[in-house]
Amino acid sequence: MIPLAGVLLGVLAGLAFDVSVPLELQPYLPIAIVAALDAVFGGVRAVMEGIFNDKVFVVSFIANVLIAAFIVFLGDQLGVGSQLSTAVIVVLGIRIFTNVATIRRLVFHA
Amino acid sequence: MPDQEPRTDESTTGRKPPRFTPAAPSGLKRLWRALSKRPDTGHIGVGLLVGLLAFAAVVQVRADDDEALANARRDDLVQILDGLRRQSERLEDQVASLEADRRDLVSGADSETDALKQAQERARVVGVLAGTVPATGPGIIMTITDPDHRVNSVLMYSAIQELRDAGAEAIQILGDGNDSAVRVVHDTYFLGPEDGAMNIGGTMVEPPYNVVAIGDPGTLAGAMSFTKGIVSRIEDQKAQATVTEYNELTVDVLHEPQPHQYARPAPEDEDD
Repeated sequence: MIPLAGVLLGVLAGLAFDVSVPLELQPYLPIAIVAALDAVFGGVRAVMEGIFNDKVFVVSFIANVLIAAFIVFLGDQLGVGSQLSTAVIVVLGIRIFTNVATIRRLVFHA
Repeated sequence: MPDQEPRTDESTTGRKPPRFTPAAPSGLKRLWRALSKRPDTGHIGVGLLVGLLAFAAVVQVRADDDEALANARRDDLVQILDGLRRQSERLEDQVASLEADRRDLVSGADSETDALKQAQERARVVGVLAGTVPATGPGIIMTITDPDHRVNSVLMYSAIQELRDAGAEAIQILGDGNDSAVRVVHDTYFLGPEDGAMNIGGTMVEPPYNVVAIGDPGTLAGAMSFTKGIVSRIEDQKAQATVTEYNELTVDVLHEPQPHQYARPAPEDEDD
């Protein structure tokens, strides 16, 4: 219930306030969003498997975002920022696919 | 993961499992139960984080809408710049070649216009010669009143020949008797007179004749009226011939050129 309300509130707030992304955050925000998406899908999967734990979710969410942003930051410092962000996106994309595949199996039993 | 089941399946014990469904409650059921469960303080953090994610996603999507390049990395920017530079080089090449084409076309059009002008000028000159265009200029009109029809074709031909010798450039003969008019050109012939009319180039012309010739008026008049010349020969035939000089005359009778049956233009020399 509360998470759903959170999603709705977040979308509405994003639409209502015309916030421009701070310049120094711009390279990291997309990666952070994908990492957070991975955490959210993992959470949904955990709920459907009956093993959801809010503490685990919060920690994995924040850790995912921070690690992804840090990897990109590190890549930028090393001069391989675009390659590393691609790598992060690929890994996170694979994880999201795996999570969604599990959710799909749980929903359709197929 | 059956070992972790006991945590959330407290309400599934009385439920008889249908065929082909796992004994544990299905994922959808668990999701629905989680959503409809009484709010739990532990979920506030989850809600906050998920809301933050939604907010950030919306902000990012909206930012992407208006500033596509602002989020691009330096490498990407360099690549985009390179692509644009290559594109602009290609376009500049294209512009250069198109401008060269345009120059060619313009100069070609100029030379074509010149050629057209020259051809038109030549056509006008040749047309005066061939009698296909009207001609204007100084000249004379020789009026021959011939009430007895004694001026014959030979005499008329001699008059035309004298006029040509004197430099007449365009000649027409008007027959005031029957309002006929003939442009005299290279192949005009003279027959008769028969029944009071002379056949000039296929047209029956009745006297009095008006011979209009364009050329130097003094020379033409002199060529007509010298001693034992045309005028005196006409007067020998009991006819009257008067020559009047004009500063401005128009020869406006046109000759219909017939297509040549045998002669066709010979090919020009290669080095011409």
